[in-house]
Amino acid sequence: MHSEKPKHDFEPKIIAFVCTWCTYAGADLAGTSRMQYPSNVRVLKFPCTGRIDPVFILKAFQQGADGILVSGCHPGDCHYIAGNYHARRRFAVFRKLLEFIGVDLNRIQFSWVSAAEGGKWVEVVTDLTERVRAMGPMVEFKDLVLEEQWSGNLNNPELQAVYEAM
Amino acid sequence: MTQTIDISSYSAITDAIRNEARRILSDSTVSAVIGYTAGRRKGSTQPIVITTADDADQLIFSAACLNDLVVYLTKAKKDVPKGGRIGIVVKGCDLKALVGLLGESQLKRENLYLIGIPCSGVLGSLLKPAAELTTETIASKCCECTDQLPVGCDFVPTVTPTPLPDLEKRYANEIARLEAMNPSERWEFWKEQFSKCIKCYACRQVCPFCFCEQCLCDRNRPQMVEQTPRPLGNTAWHLMRAMHLAGRCAGCGECERVCPMDIPLNLLNRKMAKELKELFNSEAGFEVREAGPLTSYREDDDQSFIR
Ligand code: SF4
Ligand code: SF4
Ligand code: SF4
Ligand code: FES
Repeated sequence: MHSEKPKHDFEPKIIAFVCTWCTYAGADLAGTSRMQYPSNVRVLKFPCTGRIDPVFILKAFQQGADGILVSGCHPGDCHYIAGNYHARRRFAVFRKLLEFIGVDLNRIQFSWVSAAEGGKWVEVVTDLTERVRAMGPMVEFKDLVLEEQWSGNLNNPELQAVYEAM
Repeated sequence: MTQTIDISSYSAITDAIRNEARRILSDSTVSAVIGYTAGRRKGSTQPIVITTADDADQLIFSAACLNDLVVYLTKAKKDVPKGGRIGIVVKGCDLKALVGLLGESQLKRENLYLIGIPCSGVLGSLLKPAAELTTETIASKCCECTDQLPVGCDFVPTVTPTPLPDLEKRYANEIARLEAMNPSERWEFWKEQFSKCIKCYACRQVCPFCFCEQCLCDRNRPQMVEQTPRPLGNTAWHLMRAMHLAGRCAGCGECERVCPMDIPLNLLNRKMAKELKELFNSEAGFEVREAGPLTSYREDDDQSFIR
């Protein structure tokens, strides 16, 4: 039987970028073993963490993500030998950039989850979801999206004059 | 207190460059020399490519020689004749960009003849090209320069650069100021800065490392970066740009200088350089690196941020 799901005011959207060989298989294992984990996470599968470009993370934030997970094979286990070593450096630097422009790094998690670690997948995803839930929605990028549509001031004198004339 | 910086050596440097350019063009060591010449406004300069020894007298060096000429060697620019060895005038910061391109296999050392400048500093802007070089008007990059004397060139005029006085480290101070803010203040700062961008791509045009035939931000299938000069696309563009230049940027400061909207682009680049130095002990220099910090790795790299 499923336990009763608690109701929350805010359900964060978590985007997980995972490599197909380890973390995806690990998440799959969690599923086939019927382990429960938050349905907030949307999994995007990549060949390797080495293929995960930082702009994907930006794109996810732009499209409304509240939290991001990047996960792949443990060092030494990458299917393509060194993809995760390269990714590790790239994300070490990208984190610093995000931090510098004012993104709270608690919204982003990196992890190594192997194909056998269904339990670790559940832990990582649950922790991130709860942490982001406590932080509330990621508003910064959403504000930018709104401004992208309309950056004018709604009560400027010109518009006011138009309204009044109507 | 504003102090004048002694650049009396620049006339000797000008003579030396002219003589050397005349020599290497007349004995056909090189087919062309890329250097600076006087611009139309008093004191201003502009890049020039000369191909005959008679034109050598057009070359100059002054405190208004801001351009990083290395950009003309990249495949993105077609102004320089192909084939034959090319001579080029480089300051220390320009040379670091050139060395970076050598490391990325974009250039071959044997195809180049490097004329290095023992540099005492250049102006921060060309708005007043005839201005005196002082501790105020000097470029921010020069305030933090440790490479006044280029290393590994084929010819360097025998002049000692003026040791720079103890100048305010403008970039380092500004980075420290931003780092001390809380995240939302930093976000506001950059949001304001990025919103000014008009996507003219002057910064990309002028950067020696932006030689991609198709820039990621010009692609639309899939479109990773919105092309409109609006807040969302601007933020993505600036972050993407900072990432693509991380570990490569030579700190020549050209991007920031050409930005018509005065966006402090080099703050991002220098912040990344600082992090790369701290994380991987890697920085731009005069030695050709076989692989940059983000195209190589060590098995024992720090992974304290990974669960
Ligand atoms: S990013 Fe700017 S400072 Fe760095 S190499 Fe390019 S133009 Fe020069
Ligand atoms: S921003 Fe990136 S993709 Fe665009 S030209 Fe520069 S390095 Fe290439
Ligand atoms: S030069 Fe300035 S305004 Fe132009 S694209 Fe670059 S940052 Fe934007
Ligand atoms: S295949 Fe999993 S990280 Fe490379």
